[in-house]
Amino acid sequence: MKEWTKQHILGIKDLSRDEIELVLSQAQAFKEISQREVKKVPALRGKTVLNLFFENSTRTRTSFELAAKRLSADVINFSSSTSSLSKGESAVDTVKTLNAYHPDIMVVRSVSSACLYDFDKYTQASIVNAGDGQNEHPTQALLDMFTVKEIKGTLEGLNVLIVGDIRHSRVARSNIFAFHKFSSQTTVCAPPTFIPYEFDKLGGVEVSYDLDEVIGKADVIIMLRIQQERQNSSFFPTIREYVDKFALTGARLAKIKKDCIVLHPGPVNWDVEISSAIKDKVHPLILKQVENGLAIRMACLYLVGTNKR
Amino acid sequence: MKILIKNGTIVNADKIFEGDILLSNSKIISVGKNIPESADKVIDAKGKHVFPGFIDLHVHLRTPGREDEEDFLSGSKAAAAGGFTKIFCMPNTNPAIDAESIAQWIIDESLRLGVVDIYPIGAITKGREGKELTEFSALKRAGCLMLSDDGASVSDSLLLRRALEYSQMENLLIVSHCEDIRLSGKGAMREGVISSKYGIRAVPDIAESLIVARDIELAKYLNKRIHIAHVSTAKSVEIIERAKKQGVKVTAETAPHYFTLTVADVEKSKFNSNFKVNPPLGDDKDVAAIKQALGKGVIDCIATDHAPHSQAEKELPFDVAPFGFIGLETAFSLTCTYLVKNKVIDLGGVTEKLSANPAKILGFKQCGKIEKDADPSIVIADLNKKWRVSAAGFHSKSKNSPFLGEELLGVIEYTIHKGKVVYSGSNR
Amino acid sequence: MNKFKEKIKILTCDDIRRILYRLTHQILEKDPDPQKLVLIGIQTRGVYLAKRIQQIIEELEKIKVPLGILDITLYRDDLTTIGHNPIVKETIIGFDLTDKVVVLVDDVLFTGRTVRAALDEIMDFGRPKRVELLVLVDRGYRELPIRADFVGKNIPTSNKELVEVRLKEIDRKDEVILLQEEDRIPKTEDREEAI
Repeated sequence: MKEWTKQHILGIKDLSRDEIELVLSQAQAFKEISQREVKKVPALRGKTVLNLFFENSTRTRTSFELAAKRLSADVINFSSSTSSLSKGESAVDTVKTLNAYHPDIMVVRSVSSACLYDFDKYTQASIVNAGDGQNEHPTQALLDMFTVKEIKGTLEGLNVLIVGDIRHSRVARSNIFAFHKFSSQTTVCAPPTFIPYEFDKLGGVEVSYDLDEVIGKADVIIMLRIQQERQNSSFFPTIREYVDKFALTGARLAKIKKDCIVLHPGPVNWDVEISSAIKDKVHPLILKQVENGLAIRMACLYLVGTNKR
Repeated sequence: MKILIKNGTIVNADKIFEGDILLSNSKIISVGKNIPESADKVIDAKGKHVFPGFIDLHVHLRTPGREDEEDFLSGSKAAAAGGFTKIFCMPNTNPAIDAESIAQWIIDESLRLGVVDIYPIGAITKGREGKELTEFSALKRAGCLMLSDDGASVSDSLLLRRALEYSQMENLLIVSHCEDIRLSGKGAMREGVISSKYGIRAVPDIAESLIVARDIELAKYLNKRIHIAHVSTAKSVEIIERAKKQGVKVTAETAPHYFTLTVADVEKSKFNSNFKVNPPLGDDKDVAAIKQALGKGVIDCIATDHAPHSQAEKELPFDVAPFGFIGLETAFSLTCTYLVKNKVIDLGGVTEKLSANPAKILGFKQCGKIEKDADPSIVIADLNKKWRVSAAGFHSKSKNSPFLGEELLGVIEYTIHKGKVVYSGSNR
Repeated sequence: MNKFKEKIKILTCDDIRRILYRLTHQILEKDPDPQKLVLIGIQTRGVYLAKRIQQIIEELEKIKVPLGILDITLYRDDLTTIGHNPIVKETIIGFDLTDKVVVLVDDVLFTGRTVRAALDEIMDFGRPKRVELLVLVDRGYRELPIRADFVGKNIPTSNKELVEVRLKEIDRKDEVILLQEEDRIPKTEDREEAI
């Protein structure tokens, strides 16, 4: 297998298919560690992982924190609210400041899209993107792929259906780029207001406004979280109408392929994007994603953390 | 003090010829062959090109308010280094240039410094808030020739109608920053595949052209003059071209970055905030349309939209960083490199776009040309020389240029204003 | 990375088979109660050797002793200094190690660092009664105070040489080869010393 050479994991856009496969295969090995009596290996002993979160995200931060701890790294969590950015303290300043602690890895969550590409000018640390604005959330896509591969055995030639707020979703973007690298076709399904401009020209993406029409073809369905405040910005008129057209309900679940799997990046707004009546059918797999996310993040931290520069 | 410029190639908009120029601090005394050397200073301009001083209808000097980013002296020096001898500063300062006293102060400061002429552009509305008109007559009395709320569009169509009507009384030119602010929202770049790919909030090109169309319709309906600032899209060009054919009194400017850079450069820069500008950089079609419009005269002139920002501001992430580039010191060379070399315009076109047409728009009868009795403002440039854009080389206090590191054609060697050398390029 | 070329075949397919039978007998001789016995093979070739030993025990004693797979990559002491990421392979230890006699199986014993890592990792899985070490080849050059309990063959080597164990399961044939660094032409006396 190919050797890992990347210093940073900034997005799926920058990863090759081989690199994605390597992360997935390493995650397979790391998954076992969480089942041990002593859930810790000394791989990153003496390394410092800095969780730098410019946006609140308890779930992702917890996952990265636990991943780092299970690899024996020292973890610092630094959260900075968005308001300090508007006060004039830039993310760059914060990175420069925290770089003084000589971290080995910076896990960064940012509100600004595509803002991590030149962070390496300001720190020696490896940067792992934990979500940058609406651009990418690479570890989420990797864990989705890992889950799909675990169940389906392959990532190739699949029909992937992503439903919901595509426009504002870094999860959707990362998954589209990821599945495209494996010759799988993604269909995004949402009200047209949630589809970014010229999205069909991106490559590997088809656009649909009719969930009932496309749901039967899907091998994988990724339901996205709907933020209720979007209703106020006229992206859709009411939750009621959104649910009617785009929610995964018992009736729609009956139409999917027998071996189709349903994923959700969490947390689910029950009865908005997924009906709670089918909770017992879809929730177990969504929880499995959380477990897989830990393995993926361990693999990512291991790969960048032991890659000597 | 008299200056004699020997053997230069004199570039007027309509005629290029070799000759000498003798000028005093009040006017060009004579233009011709073999003028006797009776001056205090003689400049040998053999092999060099001589242009009338450039006029920039659109700069931001950040004063009052952000003197750390630019002040009148640094802005004047940057202008002189770029060949501009008259610059018009936009009123988006703090406080805004919305009162007689501030406008008068700027003119006084300009005279006191004596580098180039700085003219204030008065705000259309108080505090540029788009609500109440400023005192147009008072602003005119203080020395304003143009009014604009630049940086903000006058969203209220009725208010703009009133401004167009009322401004005629004082023969003030309304400069319109065309932007549908609801459509542009918090957009940081042009909407298209790249913005969609990176999830960056974006501005559709019609956010500009919709308001260009509205403003032109208003000007046409009222039969008033209007000047469209920083035209950036093919769609706006199309609307302006049609209006001009119909005889609407519309003039238009574009900025150098709209005929040099595209949204692809934004991606290439890895979303460097130095590539963020409003209106945002367009695509290849827009650049082609802007070039063609310059060639055909649909766009009358090139203004820099010189917009200094501190390093800290430009270190902010792309989507929250402020808009704008500095441009005074690169405009001429970009024009040479991207327009003249590519034969979009000829050398006379440089004079036309940077000097003669702005003068015409303002009614400056003695500017924009080199002839007897004309304004003694001169630029001498070596068009065979190249230079590399660097932060250290800028006279502006701010360094936020997307052209850093680029090699450009056309080096300005002298800028003469009112008979005085205000810039000499030997120190570049 | 230096290039190596084949110098001499140390063990043949038959040699390896005989050695494994001998070593299995030695294990059973030392630990007569196979109920307490577990085998743990170190990735990659130690795993195949352990599987073969598991089969031999089954053949001899009619009992299938538990077999674990251990990847020691994450316990390496040079993990962050070697400059590239060693690929982490599977670890599967599907049984409790407490009070068991663990026979740790590897192909070559060299510096002892792999065994150190393996011991540390095993301790994180539980507290065995005893850990014993079985290797097919001991080539010397220890850097840690570690000794094997069961040795297939002692092969004195120079540090310019490599011992390569090839097994049918992944290498198509069973053999053990001594490799010599290529840019250095071996002199006769060197070779004699080495072997």
